[in-house]
Amino acid sequence: MRLNRAISMVLLAAALLWPYRAPAGPISFNSALTLSSGEFVFREQGVLSQSGDDPSGADRDRRSIASLSVLGYGVDEDFSVFAVVPYLDNRLDVTTNGERRTRETSGIGDIRLFGRYVVVRKNWPARAFRLSLFAGIEAPTGEDNESDRFGRLPASVQLGSGSWDPFGGVVATYQTLDFQIDGQLAYQANTEANGFAFGDVARADASFQYRLWPRTFSGGVPNFLYGVLEANLIHQGRNHDQGTDDVNSGGLSLFLTPGLQLVGRRWIFEAAVQLPMLQDLNGTALESDYVVRAGFRVNF
Amino acid sequence: MRTLRISVLLLGLFIVPAFAQQGGATYDLGINGLSCPFCSYGIEKEISKIEGVEKITVDIAKAVVRVRMRGEMTLTEVVAKKAAKDAGFTLRSFAPASPK
Repeated sequence: MRLNRAISMVLLAAALLWPYRAPAGPISFNSALTLSSGEFVFREQGVLSQSGDDPSGADRDRRSIASLSVLGYGVDEDFSVFAVVPYLDNRLDVTTNGERRTRETSGIGDIRLFGRYVVVRKNWPARAFRLSLFAGIEAPTGEDNESDRFGRLPASVQLGSGSWDPFGGVVATYQTLDFQIDGQLAYQANTEANGFAFGDVARADASFQYRLWPRTFSGGVPNFLYGVLEANLIHQGRNHDQGTDDVNSGGLSLFLTPGLQLVGRRWIFEAAVQLPMLQDLNGTALESDYVVRAGFRVNF
Repeated sequence: MRTLRISVLLLGLFIVPAFAQQGGATYDLGINGLSCPFCSYGIEKEISKIEGVEKITVDIAKAVVRVRMRGEMTLTEVVAKKAAKDAGFTLRSFAPASPK
């Protein structure tokens, strides 16, 4: 159990990488841009997370498929609110006492609710800058006490954390017709539920989006094809279990994320792959192999 | 003389509807901060809420939104400025493009 719980870092890191951004921008994290007053955006993204390369000898292999549904609403030009509803299908294969076991479950995960407020707004012809603050809560809507014939599922397979986890941060965006740059600092305080708490997560993210097509403009609003490159530096503290730290959890990870984004007036299609460049994890915490993301957004 | 009258009549039949199709007053709004296709929908939506707006055309490279009004309706700079602000942008310029 303790061993399996160690890989919860990968799960939580993946959860924090869930996108909750509305207008065009980064694929794997937030943006400072807000919606216009009264505008809605709906976003759907499929996420495949694969982890393996187990240093513990238990030959753990974890796969998670998530469908993330995001609804955003512009309260006014400065303040937008968002809800992120995940549907998860989690699976962990592990060898225990010489027996290969599959632990799995699926269902609604923890819903994230948050608001974003613009504190600095600069507009120029065909250029914009925003600095925004965001804060929210991850609600324990996902089941955190599921069991199978082997007993209670490890935390890394459970659909939810069981705890109310506040998060917040600051994000800046500079956008031109040719490119966009985003940067974010964020922190999530994971609280305890049933004697267990995931380690807190601090992260720094950067994104560069470059317009590949069209190369020149001939009036109107053409669709844009962006090449995207993002970086996610994530640190998670050790998990806390029944009063003690789990030495096989937490650590530092750096992902590089190349992707493509096709942006129209009312929709965006996007896809990206998050590749681990650095994983300095504690003990036998399970490393991430890759994360694949693909989805769309529409505004109305 | 009769040929001339017929010609004038035919000319009128074609020209008058052609002008009528032009609609009402048209304005060019310079919008600062408009820098991606997805963002342009926000300003279009805000302007479309203004009473009397018939057609909206965005030129994203020039950061200009052309607004055509219906019938006798007009657009004021104050109203255009508020629409731009509600969409998160800034009105840079306001000018009638082709008065009715």
